[in-house]
Amino acid sequence: MSASGKPCTSKQFARVDAAADPQSAAQIRREFSDWLGQHFTLDATRVSDMVLAVNEAMANAAEYAYLMAEQPGAMHVLASYDGLAASLTVTVTDEGAWRNADHVTPGSRRGRGIPLMQALADHATVDSSAAGTRVCLEWNCVAAARPHP
Amino acid sequence: MFGDRWIREPVGIQWTGHSPVPVIGGIVATQPSASNCTIEQQRIGAIEVLSVAGVVDMLTASQLEDAIAAAGHHSPQGVIVDLGGVDFLASAGMGILVAARDELPSSVQLGIVADGPATSRPLKLVGIADLIGVYATLDQALAALTA
Repeated sequence: MSASGKPCTSKQFARVDAAADPQSAAQIRREFSDWLGQHFTLDATRVSDMVLAVNEAMANAAEYAYLMAEQPGAMHVLASYDGLAASLTVTVTDEGAWRNADHVTPGSRRGRGIPLMQALADHATVDSSAAGTRVCLEWNCVAAARPHP
Repeated sequence: MFGDRWIREPVGIQWTGHSPVPVIGGIVATQPSASNCTIEQQRIGAIEVLSVAGVVDMLTASQLEDAIAAAGHHSPQGVIVDLGGVDFLASAGMGILVAARDELPSSVQLGIVADGPATSRPLKLVGIADLIGVYATLDQALAALTA
């Protein structure tokens, strides 16, 4: 909160150079959930949707991004809030080779991460290139928590 | 004391994903504390009921897979996976449920108990509720599977 008493119009959550592995994803998921609780007024459904969508983006990076590499690479999670637009944007990026279809085992166990993200977020995009993958998740009409007196 | 080994005993009453918790006659495993899943098995009539609590994600989904397979080996009429105590259900866990439907014998029905934003909502959003019966309470699931 600024010195004038007006609420901050920008809030950020950043985890840069995290290991793209399941343990790291679980830890960041919990920290992101805590951050949401601290800074926003959200109903239980909204929080659940956001945490699950971000988890799915990280899970895909952890599972697919570095399949052909010798060791896990990095993933970066950045959440930023636009107070004027009341929108929350979360990006999950990696520098690996995600969504190379040759590496995906078909079957009933897999393949729901992207449909889930699209259903849970107001807007979801997945952009893959040789340089890596960037998932962008956006939620609108997100209210910041009221400042404590 | 138990290190990073799995000790599997055929009693099979409780699967615990803590780090580490000695369980006599059960399964002991070390798991990262960020993802904690407990599964308790009980038999109600001809139905195997698995009560799941905590987090079902990439780290813990295999526990659920093992528990469902073990329940199926008891030749029940049906298996109910009760997600009432689950705080978080990732697609990894959902995939296990769909795979279980395919892998359990056709004579064994599968039902899910789920209610709330973390469980029944995503199951419905990705269409799993169209493949496997999802019930709000255990009583409803039992009634459906024994009808």
